[in-house]
Amino acid sequence: MGDTMEEIVQTTPKQFSRDELKNRIAHWVGPNHVPKQLNVITDTTDFFRVDYDDVVILGDRPYLIRNNEREGRFGIDEQQKFWVKRARDLSDGSVKIIKLVFRERFQSRVGGIVFDCYRSPKKEARILDLTKGHPRFMQGFSLNDSSNNVIRIADFIKGKTLADTILQFGRDHEDYFYHYFPTIFDEYIELVEAIQFLHQRGEKHGDIRRDHVIKDEATGNCRWIDFDFNYMHGENMFGYDLFGLGNILAYLVGRGDVTVQQLRDSGSPVAERLTSYDVNIIFNNRLVNLKKVYPYVPDDLNFILMHFSADADVFYDNTHQLLHDLGEARNKLKTL
Amino acid sequence: MNSRKANNRNILIAVDESENAARAVAYVRDLLAGLTGYHITLITIIPEPSEDYFISEAERTEWMKDKNASARSILETYRKLLIDAGFRDEEIKEVLVIKECTSIAECILAEQEKLACGTVVIGRRGISKKEEFIFGSTSSKILHTARDCAVWVIE
Repeated sequence: MGDTMEEIVQTTPKQFSRDELKNRIAHWVGPNHVPKQLNVITDTTDFFRVDYDDVVILGDRPYLIRNNEREGRFGIDEQQKFWVKRARDLSDGSVKIIKLVFRERFQSRVGGIVFDCYRSPKKEARILDLTKGHPRFMQGFSLNDSSNNVIRIADFIKGKTLADTILQFGRDHEDYFYHYFPTIFDEYIELVEAIQFLHQRGEKHGDIRRDHVIKDEATGNCRWIDFDFNYMHGENMFGYDLFGLGNILAYLVGRGDVTVQQLRDSGSPVAERLTSYDVNIIFNNRLVNLKKVYPYVPDDLNFILMHFSADADVFYDNTHQLLHDLGEARNKLKTL
Repeated sequence: MNSRKANNRNILIAVDESENAARAVAYVRDLLAGLTGYHITLITIIPEPSEDYFISEAERTEWMKDKNASARSILETYRKLLIDAGFRDEEIKEVLVIKECTSIAECILAEQEKLACGTVVIGRRGISKKEEFIFGSTSSKILHTARDCAVWVIE
């Protein structure tokens, strides 16, 4: 792993004849999938014009563009990310995710707090470089296209999100908690350590959420993905990342979000006894005091979750503090 | 605490365009106007966005120019306020720092150390708990991490 960012080198795209490209497509994708009209692109500035079956040449490698990637959350239909393409590397046949440059500045609103955000290809390029070889991060590299756009090329990770993975475990929550959660908790601790690795090097992930962790089928490891989100941080540069880590922990402990609505709908007696102490400081419809619903959640673990409560007086300032408490909770979990 | 530095009469006031900064300056003015031997440093920290926040170098230059001008204007306003209250011109210094900073509090305290100020004065923004949770609080961080100086947090 490199500690410093390597300089991004603009590379003149290598020249390929159309016949050679067609031969490569036939070899890696199949003779029936060779486009009749081959559109070869070296300048990706207008990413809407980079389409299915086009060949993009970056550096000395041609890539056959397949579909746009999609991202969905919270039940909203998945949205196409037109600047993120799945592609086949026509040099070795591997599947890649190619992230083109999409300049976007916008205001995010989280729990009524508004802050300035932007996409930062250079940040993602730095992090890819920084985490090269790290088993907990998506792997890839960056280079500039013929118009100096910072393109990121990441290995495609085959697997489900961590969020989807855990939903299939356990007959019920108690079974999940005793038989599956300890292993998941170990995974989570390693993911937090990976974020600490970034923070210690002055980088934030920027968009920590449960669908940005993929369980890699090839290695069995969970990996963080998508590092291009950036925001104008306040006093604590890492506060938003820590908030995301807390949300994921609550999701993992609860085997999904435990919401006020769910409790009401299910007629749970707990619903009548909820106070601001029990709910997430930002998402007031989600519970963090999970011990109230699942009494077998140990105190040390619940104690961590309560740092994300609307009534919390003490917050985590950094991953070191969080990891300290996670370690204690993990030790207690062993003795259950 | 190093009492020699803490007891000196160099006072650092962190200011920006906010009302809490105005309160901090007003507090110092009301407390110390007419007394001799105090040296006031008005400091503004402008956190510079990271490299690709700007689409072009021209946009970055324009941003820097605007921020610089508004910060200079704020500093000048507060200098005048203090002089009108009886401070002498040579007793007031202005410092403008534009840099990428992970923490404004750390930047302020680094300047406090550099300028050997025995007192740091800052206004409290009165941010919500949610906001403090996600983005932290500069006054809280200064209060908790300052060493070798006194801290006045003005409500």
